[in-house]
Amino acid sequence: MEPKLSSDLLRGHTDTVVLASLLHQDRYGFEIYNTILERTGEQYELKEATLYSAYKRLERDGFITSYWGDETRGARRKYYHVTGKGRELYRQNKLDWQFTRKILNDLLGEDL
Amino acid sequence: MNIEEHIDAMFAGYADNASMKDFREELCANLTEKIESLKNRGLDEDAAMKKALGELGDISVIADELSQKKRREVFEIMYMNTRNYMSSRRVLLFVLCGAVLGFAVIASVLGWMYSKEAGAAAGSLMVFGIPPACGLIFLSLTQETAGKEAMSWKRALMYSADAAVFLFGTAVFWMTYLNGPNGLADAVAVLIPFVLPSAAFGAFLVLTETDRSKPWVTALRKEALERENELFESLSQERRFELLSGALWIAAAAGFVLLTMTLGIKFSWLSAVAAVVCQMLLVSAFIKK
Repeated sequence: MEPKLSSDLLRGHTDTVVLASLLHQDRYGFEIYNTILERTGEQYELKEATLYSAYKRLERDGFITSYWGDETRGARRKYYHVTGKGRELYRQNKLDWQFTRKILNDLLGEDL
Repeated sequence: MNIEEHIDAMFAGYADNASMKDFREELCANLTEKIESLKNRGLDEDAAMKKALGELGDISVIADELSQKKRREVFEIMYMNTRNYMSSRRVLLFVLCGAVLGFAVIASVLGWMYSKEAGAAAGSLMVFGIPPACGLIFLSLTQETAGKEAMSWKRALMYSADAAVFLFGTAVFWMTYLNGPNGLADAVAVLIPFVLPSAAFGAFLVLTETDRSKPWVTALRKEALERENELFESLSQERRFELLSGALWIAAAAGFVLLTMTLGIKFSWLSAVAAVVCQMLLVSAFIKK
């Protein structure tokens, strides 16, 4: 059988995924969504509502800030910017994940 | 439906506050762009819209959070949703009381037209009208609505009994006045045993009434009050504003009378216009910068 992506597992890391996409530049909603989709080779059926919830949560806790862009044409875009606190959270979450992955690999390995 | 209409539908029933507007604009911009990009990839308008909305998922959690379930028209909901709280037995009783009351009115009008006796009309209104009127009072007080808890049936019963005595006294007053040998003198005397005590007891009931509003209505009312208070720098500023507004309108009334006496009614309305203008200036001077 084809392997498939565990949505539940990924959803638990939405905040970190959003932070990762903002590390190098500020982005707006559609752009963040696209970045995530491209990186997963469009295999992950991510609901945008989940992302919006993540933005609200991250902004409320001071991990990201938002501002309106000054588009001359078309609708205004709301950009998100990762804060120092957000970068710190990203680093910590990444370390946690690497550790968890190692443990899981050990647990799921065949030579138990 | 275009994208804005879809978004409107998604947020229908949620109050429009600043953060909600902000979120709607963000959502609209992102969805529009997404639909454009889907169309560039060869999807037609409808399919692109459907795909975009499908991938959006359920935004109600965010909307709930943003609006804190502030509903647009408190009073609309308070009264429109009453039906949800009414059993069919209560509906039947309401209708029955209404019908009997209607019958009482018709009977008394007919009685008056045929007999030309106002006393007879008042009599039939008393006999057929008072019971259903009291029934309606009892039913509406003990009716739970979306915004109000029901009154206890004992207290509601006191209200309707009090109303019965009051209405009976009023009817007796009219009948004595119209048919009695001494006219008004007897009629006024009749007020003492019925109308007076029932009015006093009614006033007592109203003054000792507790607020039966449901918690969400109380919370909303408090919020509205706070919003109003926020407009002013301090409580003393607000008090000063109220006093000045009061003085302004008393002056306007005086000006109206004065202008009517000196220049005539043709010009006196100008004092009301001047007062409105002054009130606006007062508001703009007092509201927090």
